[in-house]
Amino acid sequence: MSATFLGYPRKNGSIGVRNWVGVISIMDNCNPVTRAICNAVDGTVPITTLFVRGQYGRDLEVTYNTLAGMGANPNIASVLLIGLEEMTSEEVAKRIRPTGKRVEIINLQPDGTINAVANGTRIAMRMAIEASGIRRVSSPASSLVIGVECGGSDTTSGLSCNPAIGRMADRLVDDGGTIIISETSEFFGAEHLFAARAVDDQVRKAFVDKVVGFEQDAMKMGLDIRGTNPTPDNIRGGLTTIEEKALGAMAKAGTRPLVGVLDYGEPPVRKGMHFMATPAPAVESMTAFAAGGCQLIFFGTGVGNPIGNMVSPTVKVSGNVNTLRTMPDNIDVDVSELIEKGAKVSEVGDRLYGYTMEVASGTRTTSEVLDIRETAISRFGPTI
Amino acid sequence: MPRALVLNELDNVATLIDSGKAGDDCALQGEAKGTVRLLADVPFGHKVCIKDTSAGQEILKYGTIIGKASAAIKPGAHVHTHNVESIRGRGDQAGSSK
Repeated sequence: MSATFLGYPRKNGSIGVRNWVGVISIMDNCNPVTRAICNAVDGTVPITTLFVRGQYGRDLEVTYNTLAGMGANPNIASVLLIGLEEMTSEEVAKRIRPTGKRVEIINLQPDGTINAVANGTRIAMRMAIEASGIRRVSSPASSLVIGVECGGSDTTSGLSCNPAIGRMADRLVDDGGTIIISETSEFFGAEHLFAARAVDDQVRKAFVDKVVGFEQDAMKMGLDIRGTNPTPDNIRGGLTTIEEKALGAMAKAGTRPLVGVLDYGEPPVRKGMHFMATPAPAVESMTAFAAGGCQLIFFGTGVGNPIGNMVSPTVKVSGNVNTLRTMPDNIDVDVSELIEKGAKVSEVGDRLYGYTMEVASGTRTTSEVLDIRETAISRFGPTI
Repeated sequence: MPRALVLNELDNVATLIDSGKAGDDCALQGEAKGTVRLLADVPFGHKVCIKDTSAGQEILKYGTIIGKASAAIKPGAHVHTHNVESIRGRGDQAGSSK
């Protein structure tokens, strides 16, 4: 029987695992007002950004789509946009409205920040009360889109947390749900194994083109990526090369076929396991997951990376006994029995899948409760 | 006795799941059995060589290439960035194609 969870039904048929009012900065100069409103109103989350001013072309398009994607995410009940002026605010608003959710806009021009905070606080308060009237209902696992991430990786990642997350991913796909793996550079050396899982030649080519294109871009700079990826903490944890890291990282996508290849922040249109092209750093990659509609993120860590996403609750999983001892406050699930006791990946992964439904139904994560959360939209061009 | 996991029978490295000191006999688990005597301290999570490996030879983990030896590596030696290098993402070696 397929798994179910208790989620918040949205007008477009999607299901939220949280029920926040999203207060979104349209550009960097709006962040202080966004934060002030969120400090005043319980039930809101601040979604801040850097830049927009001076961005153009694909770079600006990605930024608008990513901001709008986070607003459209099923975990967000309604959206309050904080802009500087009406044209740029409308660019983001028009991309969220098709979801049917309430979208309001406050601009800093012409009335200034004190009025913007006062008016925004009043609107956000009403939105928070309105959202609290929505009740969780029993929902199928097939409505879940889960991003799988790793950070602060070491050799335990490929032996414990990532394979356990992979088993969870297989279970979700078998129940009709959707998995997204990202971090393009972390396929260097493992892409042939992953490409073999593509459902057809078109998907295979799309995937290989993303990885090869990304490597060529890095090569054009004439640089050696060693020391950047693997990172200094990866190397301290025993990972020697990007190839070794990639083989361990890939395990978190499980074993099911690759059905689609997505651009940064692009939502999947089909069910099953997807690849999304993103840079490797976790905050940028998880921001793209949230924009792509992931309601949850599973994050495997070895030497320990505590950061979570603002919109998609992030479940930290580790199998490194040292990290579990030194930074337990930042880990949600201990899977160290895989290394210490030779436990079966299938059993540990099944337990993780059970926990997935708990978190989807409302159990909170460490990064949520401690508010160790951040947003960063990747840049694909210079600012002018 | 420190333990080390061998993930594939083709592998020439094993991953320590305890910290090991030079001179320790390290017990192999997984796809290989027996022991290897450590020639150097090997921290938790780091790799030890389990098969004689010449300079330039491929390093295999998960039965898959993770890089090549930049120096000859003897069984029991610590295997890491000082004696293995990545083959991928090496814009520094792209040479005249730049």
